[in-house]
Amino acid sequence: MATSSASLHRHGHVGGVIEDDHAAYQRMVRMLRIGLWLFIISDGFMFTGLFVSRFYLLGGTRPELSQALGLIVTSVLLASSFYMNRAETLIEHGDREGFLRCTLITIGLGLGFFVGVVFLEWPLAASHIGGPAASAMSSVFFMMTGMHAFHVITGILFLLVIYFNGRRGRYTPQRHWMVEACANYWHFVDVVWIFFYPALYLIGTPVALGH
Amino acid sequence: MDTISESSTKKASAVRKGVIIAVVLAVLTLIEFVVGLVLPNPWILLTLALLKALIVIQFFMHVSRVFAGEGGH
Amino acid sequence: MKVLKLGILWGLIAQCAGSIIGASLVMFIRILMGRAPIVNSWRVDEPLMVVGGLFGAIGFMYGVGALSDWIKIMRGREAPLPHGHDPRGWSRYFGVSYDHKVIGVQYGITAVGVFLLAGLFALVMRTELARSGLHILRLDNFNTLIGLHGIMMIASILIGVAALMNYLVPMMIGATDMAFPRLNAFAFWLNIPGALLVTSSMFFGGFETGWTGYPPLSAHTFPGVQMFFLGVYIIGLSSILGALNIIATVLCMRAPGMTLFRMPIFVWASLSTSLISLTATQLIGLSFQLVMFERLFGMNFFNPDKGGNVILFQHLFWFYSHPAVYIFVLPGLGIISELLPVFSRKPLFGYRWIAMSSLAIALVGFLVWAHHMFAAGMEEYLRVPFMYSTMLVAVPTGVKFFSWMATLWGGKIETPTPMLFVLGGITVFLFGGLTGPPLGTVSTDLHLHDSYFVVGHFHNTMFGGFVYPFFAAIYYWFPKITGRRMSETMGWLHFWLMTPAFWLMTGGMFWVGLRGMRRRIADYDPALGFDTIHLLVTLSAFLIAISVLIFLGNLIYSAFFGEEAKGNLWASRSPEWQVPSPMPEHNYDEPFVVTGEPYDYGLPGSVYIDLHPRPPEPVRGQPPQLEPATGD
Repeated sequence: MATSSASLHRHGHVGGVIEDDHAAYQRMVRMLRIGLWLFIISDGFMFTGLFVSRFYLLGGTRPELSQALGLIVTSVLLASSFYMNRAETLIEHGDREGFLRCTLITIGLGLGFFVGVVFLEWPLAASHIGGPAASAMSSVFFMMTGMHAFHVITGILFLLVIYFNGRRGRYTPQRHWMVEACANYWHFVDVVWIFFYPALYLIGTPVALGH
Repeated sequence: MDTISESSTKKASAVRKGVIIAVVLAVLTLIEFVVGLVLPNPWILLTLALLKALIVIQFFMHVSRVFAGEGGH
Repeated sequence: MKVLKLGILWGLIAQCAGSIIGASLVMFIRILMGRAPIVNSWRVDEPLMVVGGLFGAIGFMYGVGALSDWIKIMRGREAPLPHGHDPRGWSRYFGVSYDHKVIGVQYGITAVGVFLLAGLFALVMRTELARSGLHILRLDNFNTLIGLHGIMMIASILIGVAALMNYLVPMMIGATDMAFPRLNAFAFWLNIPGALLVTSSMFFGGFETGWTGYPPLSAHTFPGVQMFFLGVYIIGLSSILGALNIIATVLCMRAPGMTLFRMPIFVWASLSTSLISLTATQLIGLSFQLVMFERLFGMNFFNPDKGGNVILFQHLFWFYSHPAVYIFVLPGLGIISELLPVFSRKPLFGYRWIAMSSLAIALVGFLVWAHHMFAAGMEEYLRVPFMYSTMLVAVPTGVKFFSWMATLWGGKIETPTPMLFVLGGITVFLFGGLTGPPLGTVSTDLHLHDSYFVVGHFHNTMFGGFVYPFFAAIYYWFPKITGRRMSETMGWLHFWLMTPAFWLMTGGMFWVGLRGMRRRIADYDPALGFDTIHLLVTLSAFLIAISVLIFLGNLIYSAFFGEEAKGNLWASRSPEWQVPSPMPEHNYDEPFVVTGEPYDYGLPGSVYIDLHPRPPEPVRGQPPQLEPATGD
């Protein structure tokens, strides 16, 4: 099976093994999975650092933010995670059209989240608590949302890569490591927001024009 | 034909599983929101967040595949 | 014309181009916003510098060719690993190679280069301190030099640790390469732009904060501090990715039969080290990034006027920077444990205890960071818990020492150069270890904090825990790389010049430190009576420099004219010595099978590995055997 050997190279970052059988691919994916999870753990430490810094600096206060907008962007990101999972499930079962459709929806929802945070929430927050330079509170807010938004953007780029490669038919039910990796990264971005949302929007007493 | 219908059942059940998880997450988020408005206790909120995170990590990120060894699909 | 094919040349060109593009981008955006393209001068315009530096680093990675395969994969093309098709000879070390042995040597050369540069900074600064009064430096130069000496040495040690791990771990576990060869090359090449950026801080006015970069000073000092932050950030990224690779390699690529407790002890040390650098490094990156943003965007994380708190920086910073010293010493201690049984011709005493103590040091190391902050105005209730957790580190470290003593006890000790450095390392590290508890105890630390005592302690731990074992490792594994051994005479001279000089140097540091000499100052009161001791410390620093030059001469001389050593020179049981030197392209022709314990020196009939298992069947219940990653 020459084609599967070719696609082996395409998906695997790990080198070396020229073998056509499923088992070799599985071995590589197992290694890549461990690598990806190690990266996620590492990145998680950075976000934990930001999370802890928020409580260290702001304690029992939180910035005054739009509750409605917060709930909306959170729901949008949750929905995107759902569609991401659906896309991965569909390619696992060989439904390429469905996979492409769901990936596209995920990209759209991810962009929606990004727009909601950066272009709607940021100006709104700036009017409540001031810009990034106004106080420690606003700095923490912009840093946490900004760092998360940066990960959303990289996730969207990754999603675009799997969308276009998916359109060229690069992924099969047996071989779609890139899709799995992208999905895991995207869910990780969601997990980060699961903690950031209560930390920024729900916990503590709201303070306008912080400090 | 049997194998095709069997695989499409499997697919349908996998898709349904995703829907159920998403619904659970949505409900938890709503509870979180209401708790945040009515009774903003940080420990309740963080517990809810932890619960959501664990659900995502287990069912969306398939963390168990890392430990599944060969062929963990 | 061969020079034109070197990846590093194109990397450097692309770094220049990237810096210009990045800076132009900022200017372009400013023009679009209707502002002046450059604020004051380009040498103090921080957004220009930072964006330029970042684009420059990305440019380097693109230019050197570390990204090309990933770009291909992203575009859905094929990118097979060109393992084994590298150019032969010296030029392979100056471009992207995916061979872990080449990358290990590249790391090693870089480490020695950065080490020399940082040592040079130390000599200049020591010359200034030889007598009281200011002689050759201005105060701001001195401050920049101590900061650069500190951070460049740390970078050098991180790179040196990566050199050891990259070169040795795959060989020791019977793998043909690392788990992710492309990531491995990427992680190495990050260090070059990173180190260049850190050094370039000198040309942007330097920085006054020392290597720790504490705000509020770092938020207000010269713009050079931005380059320092950015460079360390990039080197930190390299460290994270390298650690990720080591962990995945150790977990997935061991030879059949090599259970966790049959791994060579250095692999345990590498695993423990990598666990720290994988996770904790993020926090120093975050802390530096927060200060960068504070300077760039006027954010207020560490500005008390606006509700910020400088102590937060120290918490984030030391959450990495204390475990970082375990990143530095654990591989070195692993080298000591690795070589002692070879030269004592006895089994390693308490193998499991040593393995577990590495892991224990790594884990306990996460819980001790605030002992750097006893005098910083930290929350007082944190002092005592952190004092006790710090003392806890002494337990696994003690386990190592007693195991080493028991290994030496009654052995047939030989002392070729590697063993000299191992024994030197043990004694130096012992003194570094013993001077630790006074600094970890609140009451004595309040007296000793920020004194030269700390400097002496730190140099003892770093020399004993890293520099001596690193030299030992180079003398020991040099034949594996080149097929020639290093000159014993010059090695002997290196050791016996460096060791007394080192004891004199740190002894002097302890002496003045206990009597009130502050660290990080360019001048001191002659009435303190420290002049003579400081002169001795400076002279011994120069002696150490001479000994390192002897080592360097030895390294270059022996690489070309050294005595040939193709076989198992040290009669080691380790797998890599069972095949000829220099190491074959793909390490082992066929995967070996581990059938015994690694350190049973002197036990008749004991076998560690079977190089030619017939028939090659995996041992039942062991991790599945990986196919040899050969051929492409």
